Amino acid sequence: MQTVIRSILGGIALCSVALGVGFGTLWLAHAIDLGTSPWYAVTGILATVMGLIVFSAVTIGRAFESLRKDLEEGGPGHIVSGPRWLRPVLRTLSEYQLRHRQAESAWRTRQQDLEIRAHVAESGRLQAQAVLDVMDEVVIVCSPLLEVVSVNAAAARLIGRDIESITGQSVNDVVEDLSLRRIITSTLEAGVGGEPRRAEVSIQSHGDECSYEVVCACACDHRDRVSALVTVLRDLTREREISQMKSEFVSKASHELRTPLSSMRAYVEMLVDGEAQDEETRQEFYGIIQAETDRLARLVDNMLNISRIEAGIFEVERDMVDVQQLVERAVQTIEPQARSRGQALHTEIAPIGAIVEGDADMLQQVVLNLLSNAVKYTPEGGRITVSVDSDTLTRSVHVAVSDTGLGISPRDAEQVFEKFYRVENYKRVAKGTGLGLNLCRHIIERVHRGQIGLESTLGMGSRFWFSIPMSNEAARVAA
Amino acid sequence: MPRRILVVDDESHILHVLSVKLRNSGFCVDTAVDGEDALHQIAAMAPDLVITDLQMPYINGVELCQQLAEDPATADIPVIILTARGYALGDEASGLSNVRQVVSKPFSPRTVLEQVHRVLGTAGNSTELAA
Repeated sequence: MQTVIRSILGGIALCSVALGVGFGTLWLAHAIDLGTSPWYAVTGILATVMGLIVFSAVTIGRAFESLRKDLEEGGPGHIVSGPRWLRPVLRTLSEYQLRHRQAESAWRTRQQDLEIRAHVAESGRLQAQAVLDVMDEVVIVCSPLLEVVSVNAAAARLIGRDIESITGQSVNDVVEDLSLRRIITSTLEAGVGGEPRRAEVSIQSHGDECSYEVVCACACDHRDRVSALVTVLRDLTREREISQMKSEFVSKASHELRTPLSSMRAYVEMLVDGEAQDEETRQEFYGIIQAETDRLARLVDNMLNISRIEAGIFEVERDMVDVQQLVERAVQTIEPQARSRGQALHTEIAPIGAIVEGDADMLQQVVLNLLSNAVKYTPEGGRITVSVDSDTLTRSVHVAVSDTGLGISPRDAEQVFEKFYRVENYKRVAKGTGLGLNLCRHIIERVHRGQIGLESTLGMGSRFWFSIPMSNEAARVAA
Repeated sequence: MPRRILVVDDESHILHVLSVKLRNSGFCVDTAVDGEDALHQIAAMAPDLVITDLQMPYINGVELCQQLAEDPATADIPVIILTARGYALGDEASGLSNVRQVVSKPFSPRTVLEQVHRVLGTAGNSTELAA
């Protein structure tokens, strides 16, 4: 009330001042002979009002500035500046403003929290999708209404459509295979308590019929109701191929192992039974047993070496190897055999520093295998040539063993480096393990990152070759 | 008159050892290195028994048995199969009426001789056979 009275009195005082200035101006104008126009009084009043407005603005500005300082220092409860009559109003306004700011801040925090949660959820979804996409198994998740909720890349490949076009579709529109649809619907009918369904189905995929193992199970929510159906399909085709390959390998290996073993057992029994009636026959039997034992040992060694190289556990002793010297040593080793068959063995070694980084023993074995084959499959009186050369362009050393032997047909040439592959027609020409060339390929291609190949004309002879990268030093010198 | 046996195998040592064993027991033995060679020899000399390997070039053991069974002139010749496959013969050999025995490699020459006597219905005495 006091404030109101003060305000009224203040207003009356201000009006009086304005009127006083107005009349004073009128009097002054009259005194200096400017006339007695009422506009002089109005001008004086207006000037006074303007002055008061400016004064009030400055005062209010200062008051708000001190108010701001007060708020900053102690909040609405600490307002001690400005006009006293204005302070309660300002305090109330400030409190509202503060509450508004607090509410806004809380809302922003909540919004940020929700945004973070949304990012985390999205990132989790993307991670789950990435995990599903790298799986080889086909994963289809559908709702209890049999709408596809999510699929992985393998499923999209099997279905032949992209993930986006599959999601949201009915399972009946997406899954063409009737037996698979039946498994999904029967799992849904069985509900949460039912065991996951397992079955094997054959599905047409890109023109081929593939076998899949299917597992279908219900996922339930917090109320134990079916929230989704998860169907996983595992392709059994590759597994079966591997199993068949393994079975074929065991069968071939067994056959190759049993063949020398048969001879050994039979000849030993013949000796035990006294079937060799003279010393010459006995010596012949001993010789055969020894040769077949060597063959068996060689076969087992080759099998183990190939297996170790394939498994990456073969201990390779890398060193700088002079291929020229290596070939000369191999030729010296094989020369007696060639001579006994009346074959001419030649070397054509280019005067180059054929140095490679590799395992000398393994490379020696490759050259010996190729030379031994050439001797075995070249008729008596034939010619065998070993050449060593280098290619500065590809920075590699080339070794070739050519013969004037029986030659190999294009059909056989394609498979001659395969395990246990032997050219049927040549089986009786010479004995072999069927693993020598396969081992050569492993040594050259896997251990030395080189290449091995064959050029042959049936009846004219063959040229087996391999090339391996030069050592850096040798490549620099050759360049 | 000694009984005539044809041994067919692409492994020369197997041919050799069986020839020695059977000859020592009084049989007359011929050898062939593959199915094709065997068919030629069978046509020429009509053996009392054929012992054949299964896996051979040109014509394998099963094909040889089939061709012998289809020809009335050779359908009655009994066959003993030697196999290094390590498991029983499958459908390919079933239904071949001329296959009497299957011997798995590595084999015992004694066992082969016993099977030969059983198939030919001869006693295990070589002198009687030779007589």
